[in-house]
Formats: sequence, C-alpha cells, structure tokens
Amino acid sequence: MHTHKTEQLLIATVGFFWCFLMWFSTAAFSPSIASTYHLTIKDLGLLASSAIWMAPVGRVVAGWASDRFGAPRTFAAILAGCGLVSIASAYTTDYHLLFAERVIVAIAGVSFVVGIQHVAQWFDSQEIGTAEGLYAGTGNVGAGVGALFLPRIFGTDYHSAFLWLGVIALFVALWYLWRGSAAKTTERSALARRSSDLRGTVFVWTRYIAIALMFAYAMSFGLEIAMNAWLPGYFTRGFHDELLGLGFSSVAGLQIAAGTFAAVESFNASLFRPFSGFISDLFQRKGWTPLPFIAKELPYAPRLHWLGIALILITLAMAGLTVAGLYGSLHWSVAVLVAFGVFLSFGTGGTFALVPLLFPERPGIAAGFIGGVSTAGGIIYPLVFGDSQNIHMGYLYVAIYMFVPFVAFYFWAARYERHPEEHGLFGAVGQQA
Amino acid sequence: MNPVSLPAPQEPWYKYGVTILVLEMAIAIAVSAYSLYMTFNGLGGFPGKH
Repeated sequence: MHTHKTEQLLIATVGFFWCFLMWFSTAAFSPSIASTYHLTIKDLGLLASSAIWMAPVGRVVAGWASDRFGAPRTFAAILAGCGLVSIASAYTTDYHLLFAERVIVAIAGVSFVVGIQHVAQWFDSQEIGTAEGLYAGTGNVGAGVGALFLPRIFGTDYHSAFLWLGVIALFVALWYLWRGSAAKTTERSALARRSSDLRGTVFVWTRYIAIALMFAYAMSFGLEIAMNAWLPGYFTRGFHDELLGLGFSSVAGLQIAAGTFAAVESFNASLFRPFSGFISDLFQRKGWTPLPFIAKELPYAPRLHWLGIALILITLAMAGLTVAGLYGSLHWSVAVLVAFGVFLSFGTGGTFALVPLLFPERPGIAAGFIGGVSTAGGIIYPLVFGDSQNIHMGYLYVAIYMFVPFVAFYFWAARYERHPEEHGLFGAVGQQA
Repeated sequence: MNPVSLPAPQEPWYKYGVTILVLEMAIAIAVSAYSLYMTFNGLGGFPGKH
C-alpha cells in the first residue's frame, strides 16, 4: 500500500480526536442524564469519576497490544468496540445498564497510547516532538469540543448523540483498518512485536528513566485531568465573594464563571502541546542543554533538558496558585492559571517527545506504562487539594511533598551520559529481548 | 556544539505542521482572551451565557 507518514499522522489524530469526543461525551450530557434518572449529587460524582476508571490499566494493555498487533488493528478494535457500546447505550432505558455501558465507552481514552506508538513508528527522531505534539494536542481538543458543541447540537437528546458518536466511530475504525499501516518499515513493526513479551514489559517498568517520565507525565497530564475536575469547585468556593462582585450571583452564573477559568486552563494545556513538541525539536536542533546534573552528551539530551525546565515551571506555577489565592486576588490567580495551563502542555509535549526515543524497540509498552499509570494523579491530587484546611494551600502541599521529589528523581535518573535505559531495578535484563 | 545534535534537514511536511501548531496556539489565546474578558466584565463566559 502506498502511503505517507502525514497520512498516518492524520488517521491517528482523527481517531484519537473521536475517541476523546466519545470519552467525555457522558460528562457533556450529565445534567440531562441526571434529570432523566433523578440522580443525586453523589451519583453525578460517581458518573463523572467513572470516565477515568479504565485509563490506568487500559492504557497499559493497549500499549502492549499496539506493539504486539500493530496500531491500526488495535485502534480500530477500540473504535469499533466503544462505538458499538455507544450505539447500544443510545437505546438503554435502565440507569445501571447505561452507567456500565458508559464506563465501557470511556475505554476510548486508552487509545492515546496506541496513536503515540503509531506516530513513533513512522516519524524520525528530529521531528518526533512536533509529530507527537500535533497528534496528542489536536486529539485532546476532542474533550473541549465535546463540552462546547455536543449540548448545542443535540440539546438534551443524549440518546441521539451517543448513537451518532458510535456510528461515526465505526466509520473511523474502517478507515483506520483500510489506510492505517503499523510502521514505516516491516522491520520496525516486527521488532516491536518481538519485544512485546512479559520480559520486555518488566524491563520497561523497572527502568529509572521510565519511572521518572511516568512521574513527569503525572505532573503534567495527571495534574491536567485532576484540575479539570477540581478547578470549578475551587473558584466557586475559594473566590465566592469576588465572583459575586463580578455580577455572578446565581448558582448557574457562578458555575459558568468558575467553569470558564477551568476551561481556559484545559484549552491552553491541549492547544499548546504541539508547540511544546516543536520546542523540544528546537532544543534538539540547537543542542541546548542549560540545566545542571542532566546528561549533556546523549543523542536526545536537549529534549531531557526541555522537559526538566517544564517540570520546574509546573512546580513554580503550583506555588504561584497558592500565593495568588492567599492574597485573595482573582485576577492574579487566573493569570497564573493561564500560564499554568501552558506549562502543563510543556510537560505533556516534552514527555512524549522523549518516550519513543528512549524505548524505540518497545514504544507501545513504554507509552502504556508512562501514559497509563500517571493518570492515577487525576484521582490523587484532588484528594490532597480537598484535604487541606485552607483551600488555597493544597497546590503548595502537592508541589512540596510530591513534585519536588519527582523533579529530583527526574534529575537523578536523567544524569547518565550513556544508555540511561540500562539503569533500573534489575540491571539491564530484557534489553536484548 | 554537541556533535549528536547537528541539525537534520527538515522535510516538506514540517512547515505545514508548524503552521497548524501556530494556528492552534492562536485559537487558544483568542478563546482565552475572549472568555476571560467576558467573565471579568460579568457578561458570561465559556462555555455558556450568564
């Protein structure tokens, strides 16, 4: 089959965009679902949190499957499976069955690592940052587009929305199977298939640099999804008087104002992600290695430095959110939040500009581990934020007690000047697998 | 200069990719500016009306 890597990038991006749309389509219609089934606040919280239940384990499995069976087949299976269940959920009238079906549809979110593997199998090292950034950043926008447009197109008729989302997913799955190609060369896909055994999985999971990148992604994407859930409530409670002062007096008005600040952070975190990949490429081209301790001679050393800078900026922005909150300044808090969203994108884009280069033989397994386990941050951080006596202090606690150790571990794991992937808990076993 | 970081020639697709990412950044900035202006003036905001 004659194809070009940009066609493969386009297929992966459209597939991921549609999966993200399906992933968050339940949330977009949660008020309508709550109204239909008379759900309590607790039920709504459970429905909202169910969207990420499958991500940690599902991404690990999907990453392995993409190495084993190739990205096109794996991605098409996810699209078709989630699409069919989405269609079934359009005709469901029992809430418990609907809940179970939407948890299954949320598996669509695991497709992220499949596309990462697909793009990594087609693009070369000097352009991987921009390619992965375009894929992931553009695909991530599916969540925002769903929140914005689905309720406007379908109103409260979530049945029709779930039906159309599922039907179109089946067409995208067919397109992926028809035009998708697993790798630039058959040797590359064969190597990934050979390396996708249990030994290879244990190898990746025990590498210090893989664990450091997993923490880096937990600091960026894990924090991004945590903030999506946390920020509306934070602004409503933490800046209640300031929002009243702006004229948002009703509950609906407060929700809109608080939701706007949260959406701005999410929008920037998604749409600046390709830029971060581009900057990673730029660091690589220019050979910039400004940070101490981190390796300077590795073929991808500049990309390690760019990610290090991103992690420091995220940590500082967390402290900045606390300071702005303690001063009671809504304007400063939002200004820091805008920068914070951009810094998150630096972390997400910087991480996956590195993953395929560090583990070229096992891009799917590595992406599954780093992109999967890190999503647990989406569950952990809000618990810390919510447990703080002062609502503004949670950011600083997470920065000091979690992020500073994560950054220190990253600097430590990225210090090796030769083959950092050989250093891990069990030596270099599996490297030749 | 680090010998491993010598610039590699860019392929034609790259400039289109950079154009798209600049466009995406512009959208992010425009949506942020509009939404924050609306909100701070009590006019509503993203993703709905006041």
